Amino acid sequence: MTTFLIKRVLQSMLTVLGVITAAFFLVRLAGDPAVLNLSAEASGEDIARVREALGLDRPMIIQYFDFIWNVLRGDFGVSLRQNVSAMSLVLERVPATLELALTSFVLGLGLAFILGIIMRMTGSRFVRQLIMWIALGRQAIPIFSFGLVMILIFSVWLKWLPSLGRGTLSHLILPALTLGTYELALYLRLFNASLATEQRQDYVRTAYAKGQGKIQVLLGHMLPNALLPLVTVAGINLGLLLGGTVVTETVFSWPGVGRLIVQSVSQRDFPVIIAGVFLISLMFVVINLIVDVLYGLLDPRVRMV
Amino acid sequence: MTFDLSRIVAVSLLAIMILFMVLTPLMPFYDPYGQNLAGSLVPMGESSFDGKFYLLGTDTLGRDILSRLALAGQVSALIGLGAVAVSLVVGVFLGLVAGYFRGPVETLIMGLADLQLSIPRVLLLIAVSAIIGPSVTNLAILLGLTSWVAYGRVARGMALSLREREFVLSARTQGATAAWNIRKHLLPNVLPQMLIVGSYEFGQIVVMEASLSYLGLGVQPPLPSWGMMVSEGQSYLALAPSLAILPSIALFILVAGLQFLSQAFTSEGEVAGVSERSK
Repeated sequence: MTTFLIKRVLQSMLTVLGVITAAFFLVRLAGDPAVLNLSAEASGEDIARVREALGLDRPMIIQYFDFIWNVLRGDFGVSLRQNVSAMSLVLERVPATLELALTSFVLGLGLAFILGIIMRMTGSRFVRQLIMWIALGRQAIPIFSFGLVMILIFSVWLKWLPSLGRGTLSHLILPALTLGTYELALYLRLFNASLATEQRQDYVRTAYAKGQGKIQVLLGHMLPNALLPLVTVAGINLGLLLGGTVVTETVFSWPGVGRLIVQSVSQRDFPVIIAGVFLISLMFVVINLIVDVLYGLLDPRVRMV
Repeated sequence: MTFDLSRIVAVSLLAIMILFMVLTPLMPFYDPYGQNLAGSLVPMGESSFDGKFYLLGTDTLGRDILSRLALAGQVSALIGLGAVAVSLVVGVFLGLVAGYFRGPVETLIMGLADLQLSIPRVLLLIAVSAIIGPSVTNLAILLGLTSWVAYGRVARGMALSLREREFVLSARTQGATAAWNIRKHLLPNVLPQMLIVGSYEFGQIVVMEASLSYLGLGVQPPLPSWGMMVSEGQSYLALAPSLAILPSIALFILVAGLQFLSQAFTSEGEVAGVSERSK
């Protein structure tokens, strides 16, 4: 287990280094930071002075290590629009994004779990197919379209729920439903497949032979084993969910990191964009690491790989 | 879910979409750019003050929504096809090279794939397109370069087993070069599988492009795009819901069609994307 853990942590650190390198190139692509920091009428002398002050006249490789050192300290430079550190602007928004992502995650898994059990328990082929078709249909609707339809139905027509902003629980329902159901078809298919695999195992036959009922075998014996792959894939998808928050936050004016990134794009505030992208990628890497380690703890077979 | 049902749904949805995109520009009323100040926000199936009839109504600038939907569809399809072509070429090449040579080359390529998956695709696209500026060509290339991993993984997996097969070994003992072996023996064997991945990825890319355009980072005006039309319609959701709903329906038809197509290709329970996501 220790070897597995060390290997996995080292792997994650390598990935983070890769993300930092990608961020470094993105910063270079964005243009000369000295020029970006100055007004358009700055003279060549001014630019040279700022370049020297920012250390941009040094060799690229030194700048690269300097950049890594700054990133490790959480220093992504100052926002070009507001005179505050870019990272502090991003960090302010993290709780809102985490709230949305985690609620969507739990909601999506919970729905998949309930619908999956219904599909298994019902004898009706029609109900099974109906659930699957609805889930597949949902997957074919992009997040922003689904979000707007939800707003149209529940905010504009029925006037039950608020259409934008953050605050009360009722603000959270529509965004979480929009983001959480996007991967429902994938979860359902996975859950079904793993339940079907467990169904053929010897221990299930033994349980039936002992005279246990269908519900008892399903909930007591098959479920703990069948949930494992579902939770793993859902954990990996938590990262995709973080990506999905960008669009969801924009649709519902949810004050999270994603919306900040999109707003910074229209203001061409590159330090904030790169700090935001870096932080979300970092959360993604950390979540994947936690999921993998948990999976290794739960299922010893994984550690061998 | 029966096999044939998916196939029928896929073919009919895609046929509707293709006919719509191809036939609309041939109609006499086709005009995706013309503004009509006498006909702003005309509802579906009504006429403007100057007596022009609009089947699907007009937007805030009085432009014909039907024409714009068709043109936007062509733009989406073009970007999607371009991106699929780019990612297929890059992915198959890197995947086959990784699987055929193994060793450090494989470690490097697959490491790159893992790294790319560790940055959510939307974010990477936002950052890069914000910096280099979006255009139709840029979008197709960007979307393509960020989507090669699915092809790369499948191609590598297949190359791993193909390289041990007799026909490859026999060619190698007769002095065939690696390039020849990859081109003549590996490539033809992985291509059918790659097209299945492609049909799934096509839908993903259409959604990704629409999302970027919705955020204002994709297709730029005056060229229309479904995502942009939804975003324009969002402000008029209470007044004229059709502005946001119609492009959403168009997106749904195309994406669902592609989704069912890839489902019809693969056996039940393993859509091409699952393997990509579950590592």
